Amino acid sequence: MENGELRKILEVKNLSVSYGKKVAIKNVNFSLKEQELLGFIGADGAGKSSTLHAIAGVLSFEGEIVYKNYVYHSPKEAEKIKYEISLMPQGLGLVLYDFLSVKEHFDFFRDLRGLKKDKEYENRLLKMAGLYEFQNRLAGNLSGGMRQKLSLILSLLPRPKLLILDEPTTGVDPISRAELWNIVNEMREDGMSAIISTAYMSEANKMDKLMLFDEGEIIASGTSEELIESIKDYTYEGEIENNKCFSFNNRTYSLKPLNLKKASPTLEGIFFVNALKKGKKPIVINVPEKDIEIPEIIVNAKCLTKKFGEFIADNCIDLKLKKSEILGLLGANGAGKTTFIKMLLGLYPIDEGELYLLGKRIRSYEDRLTLKSKIGYVSQKFSLYKDLSIKENLEYFAKMHSLSVGETKRKIEEFARMFEFEEYLNAFPKEVPLGINQRFSLAAALLHEPVVLFLDEPTSGVDTVARSAFWRLLRKLKENTGISILITTHYMNEAEYCDRVAVLKRGVKIVDDEVKNLHKKYPRLDFEEIFLQIYKENQ
Amino acid sequence: MKMSAILKKEFLVFFRNAGLVIFILYAFTLDIYIAGKGIKVTPRNVSIGYVNEADNLIVNKIISSFHKPQFKQPKMFLNEKALKNAIYNRKIIVGIVFDKQFVNNLISKKQAKLQVLIDSTAAAQAEVTLIYLQNILMKFENNLNLPAKINIIKLFNPNSNTKWFMSLSELMSNITMLGLVLIAVVFVREKENGTWDIMLLMPVRGSLIIFSKILSQVLILMAGITISVGLIVFGVFNTPINGNLLDFYLISFLFSFAIGGIALVIAAVSKTILEVGHLTIVIMLPLIFLSGAWTPLSAMNPFIQYLSYLSPLRYYIQATQDIFFRGSGFFDLLPYFFAELFMAMVLFYIGYKKIGKLF
Amino acid sequence: MKISVLRAYLKKEIIDLIRNKMIILIYLIPTMILILFGFGIKLEVTHARTVIIDNDHSKLSLEIINKFSRTKYFDVRVENLSYKKALHLIQTNKADVIIIIPPSFSRNLYKGAEIGVYIDGSFPLRAVTLQGYIEKLLINGFNIHLPIKIENRNFFNESLRDYNAVVPGLFGLIFLVVPASLAAIMIVKEKEMGTIFNFYSAPIKKVEFIISKLLPPFLFHSLNIFILLLLAFYVFNVPFRGNFFIFWVVSEIYILISVGIGLLVSIITSTQIAALVLSVIITIIPGFLYSGILMPISSMDKESFIEAHIFPVMYYNHLVYDSFLIGQGFKASENVLYFFILCIYAVTLILVGTFFVKKAIK
Repeated sequence: MENGELRKILEVKNLSVSYGKKVAIKNVNFSLKEQELLGFIGADGAGKSSTLHAIAGVLSFEGEIVYKNYVYHSPKEAEKIKYEISLMPQGLGLVLYDFLSVKEHFDFFRDLRGLKKDKEYENRLLKMAGLYEFQNRLAGNLSGGMRQKLSLILSLLPRPKLLILDEPTTGVDPISRAELWNIVNEMREDGMSAIISTAYMSEANKMDKLMLFDEGEIIASGTSEELIESIKDYTYEGEIENNKCFSFNNRTYSLKPLNLKKASPTLEGIFFVNALKKGKKPIVINVPEKDIEIPEIIVNAKCLTKKFGEFIADNCIDLKLKKSEILGLLGANGAGKTTFIKMLLGLYPIDEGELYLLGKRIRSYEDRLTLKSKIGYVSQKFSLYKDLSIKENLEYFAKMHSLSVGETKRKIEEFARMFEFEEYLNAFPKEVPLGINQRFSLAAALLHEPVVLFLDEPTSGVDTVARSAFWRLLRKLKENTGISILITTHYMNEAEYCDRVAVLKRGVKIVDDEVKNLHKKYPRLDFEEIFLQIYKENQ
Repeated sequence: MKMSAILKKEFLVFFRNAGLVIFILYAFTLDIYIAGKGIKVTPRNVSIGYVNEADNLIVNKIISSFHKPQFKQPKMFLNEKALKNAIYNRKIIVGIVFDKQFVNNLISKKQAKLQVLIDSTAAAQAEVTLIYLQNILMKFENNLNLPAKINIIKLFNPNSNTKWFMSLSELMSNITMLGLVLIAVVFVREKENGTWDIMLLMPVRGSLIIFSKILSQVLILMAGITISVGLIVFGVFNTPINGNLLDFYLISFLFSFAIGGIALVIAAVSKTILEVGHLTIVIMLPLIFLSGAWTPLSAMNPFIQYLSYLSPLRYYIQATQDIFFRGSGFFDLLPYFFAELFMAMVLFYIGYKKIGKLF
Repeated sequence: MKISVLRAYLKKEIIDLIRNKMIILIYLIPTMILILFGFGIKLEVTHARTVIIDNDHSKLSLEIINKFSRTKYFDVRVENLSYKKALHLIQTNKADVIIIIPPSFSRNLYKGAEIGVYIDGSFPLRAVTLQGYIEKLLINGFNIHLPIKIENRNFFNESLRDYNAVVPGLFGLIFLVVPASLAAIMIVKEKEMGTIFNFYSAPIKKVEFIISKLLPPFLFHSLNIFILLLLAFYVFNVPFRGNFFIFWVVSEIYILISVGIGLLVSIITSTQIAALVLSVIITIIPGFLYSGILMPISSMDKESFIEAHIFPVMYYNHLVYDSFLIGQGFKASENVLYFFILCIYAVTLILVGTFFVKKAIK
């Protein structure tokens, strides 16, 4: 089909949304054609979700939205178009009922929408999502990736003309992400349009058009090539330390000309250039050097196994963590990463195998207590106490690790300065941006000077600028203090920052190699492609 | 040091949960007040009606002796049918028929039989109402000469003030509920907010965490008891205390740990605060009813009486009533203290074992 | 109204309630309350532990002791104790009543004889009742002529059974508290978990959603009407003198009122635990105070009397007691009036709730 033949399906005019006094979006305008794929990118709280909710008719708004020829100004008026629009809100399987099986979800959504049973179509959806064999499994027992795929096919059940997906891939592993995209693309060929918000720039490249949201406004739009083109003058090769420019993933972005070689930009660069234009500065990380005697091998896991009944979560996994090393632990949702980390932390008893910390075998309860005092841990979603201010949280952790009052005070000041969250010390975790939470959680994990740091998806949902700061921080930490870091992530390009990666698949370690060796082995592939390749090779 | 850190953290978390603080304050003040003020068990203002078939002045004299606080102003009905109708429609509880024969006998000093119709839906109130009537009618004849004076003294609460009893009973029921909820929630909140693992990763013995967490809530509970007793029990209702207030605090403290043991079991099996709520209801109701909060144990089925020995609340209620009303001293209360201490140790051990498995 | 929407939610809720074991609570809690309150609230006074100290040892004193021993109200022990020791028995909760007959009591009759009675006043209702019994028995014991003798006829609960008085009153409490909290929890759960988006984004009407969400708690508790009724018959032997059909219909309407309250609670709360706490607090107090279990409505003072008329529990209980003990049914105009008042409550609550439910994120 030629581009010219495609009808305009949606037009958004002067859309504004506010929650009380807080303005979420103001005067947003754009339009969408049939079969078009529109991508929303932007930081947490930039207004992407509000826009999507308004279009789906689940949020009150000002302005006007035209779907085909139907004009609506409120959720009430939007009722008529809900037959043709499907919304999948943010959150892993948010719309699922834990106690209902996959099949029962189909029954529920079919009846809810008043649809006739179309066995052929339903089976096709189930097969696309790889859920055909799991129809009797309860949603509560599905992995995060499977939950998202189920949510997606359920939203496709009424054969929508317009599909609205709010960060469908956040927290989802690369394999499931690829599958989700296959489903969307297949349905698009049937004539569906879609608006999708995403935090993964590798996905943004797949969209027909992108809109960059910032503080409630669309500040840039166009194809991904156009957006990349717009920042090519500010992109340089390599990474440097400078408070007037941002560096990430082997690129440096600066508004002022630099004495460096120009490089071809990536889409991520648009966030940095935008931040520079707004006068934001990168945080300056100053981790003092430390000379502590640390043995070469910090953690040594020998054939660790964990079983839950019949299910083997981790099957004889060997892993060594060396001094001053960042080890990326990669794998699909449910591959056994979190279970493995919990065994290392002493949170799960080890069923088989041996664990050594600093050369000493960890066996008894006493051993585990020592283990705990040597480890720093940042969990998914930065689970700190939401009812305590950031300062109170840090004080609590310091006291639990027997730091003196003076030392506590000094360390909190030091970390707050180093990680730049001084101004937020008296705020509560939910009042500050995710990036600040991430950094202060890291500070809480470092207060007692651990020799090893375990980070479980610490960058999920955090915006690009904050992620870049976080990674620079980790690098500095490891270089200057000799700490070793074990990290899990679903952003495959972050693996570039690791020294070594170990890949788990269904509880088995399939690869354990240095990143540079992997690049040699799979030339000209980016790390996401390498990862998918590794998974394919190890069936 | 570490313990004080945990205590401080739990206090901060408690005070920043506005909903919880309001709920606790409500349960310790307004709820006790409503129960003390609202639940009146001894009949007052009994609605009464009569038919005066004899049309004699003596009837009016009798009627005029039915007055507040026991009786409302009596209503007159034209005939017995209307009177019955009023009872059937539950407009009045007591109906008196003064027929001609009654008046004649009364005047001629024969024994006069008075027909009283009574709505006995509420059996106990009906019984007491009859007693009221009897007393009034007995005293109506001034020249009634009893061979001996009956000197009845109702000890501890001579005017049968129900507020004293009701407010204390409600307070003990609420302490049971709040003890279970507060102590279970302090653990389950960590599960619900995803901080459980963080808590376990502190280089601190599980026993210290468990004990400090419980202590923090027991202290909050004791503060609540102080507010309740000071403000409502003493302040509003002027309840006397014949024993020693310190004894009450001691038994309350022991009881908190006994109930804490049960709360630990709830905490171990609940994943969400909602489950804590449900389990609390299921455990609390039998506990309260089988321990003599609203009906004395001695009046209950012997089987329940034996069963109640297993309830920590039994000793708490008995000791509290003894302290406030019966004025028992420390040595009289010793059996209760020991029983409660024993219950606290057993229950705490069970709860500790149960939640300890999660550490 | 689309039947498919109703079917969708009904099926989902039933599966959900069974798999998350909530179904146990739905049927356990009402039964538990009825059994515990039914057996636990004992207002009649029997077997009061009575110690008689007979210092007279006369024919009269023996007569008095016999009179007390022969009733079910008193468990008499005759002991030879000092006044102080006897009092100590009450103080340590080992006796409820002490009667002291002084030496030469029978010889001093009409010459200033005095009999001392001490009652434990901690439980006021018991104390008042005991006082009445004791006075009656003692005066009887003196064998004197009383000018007026009361001939009482007890209506409705002729044998003065506590169960007949308490058990019917519990229906109004249980069916106010439990369906309301269940309905509130079930609606708020969708908000808390995020599944409310299924309602927001699907082309279904507000009314369809509300009916679909209120129907499961309504149906589940409709079964409880029968369970509780059977318990009242076979465990407590409460008579049933009214029209079963009226009782049934009125109870269903009352449950509608309760789920309507749950709907209102769900609008102002956002977590399930808050919904549970709030719905219990606002229902349990009126459910208990104005149930008529402890105090007949007609005997309330003006303030409480007006308050009682504001809450639906009074009207329902009137009809429940009528069904169990009185049996006037719709012959009495008042019962018809109360029936309509309950209908108005149900309709109003659900309409108000429907008005405030918004099909959009707040």
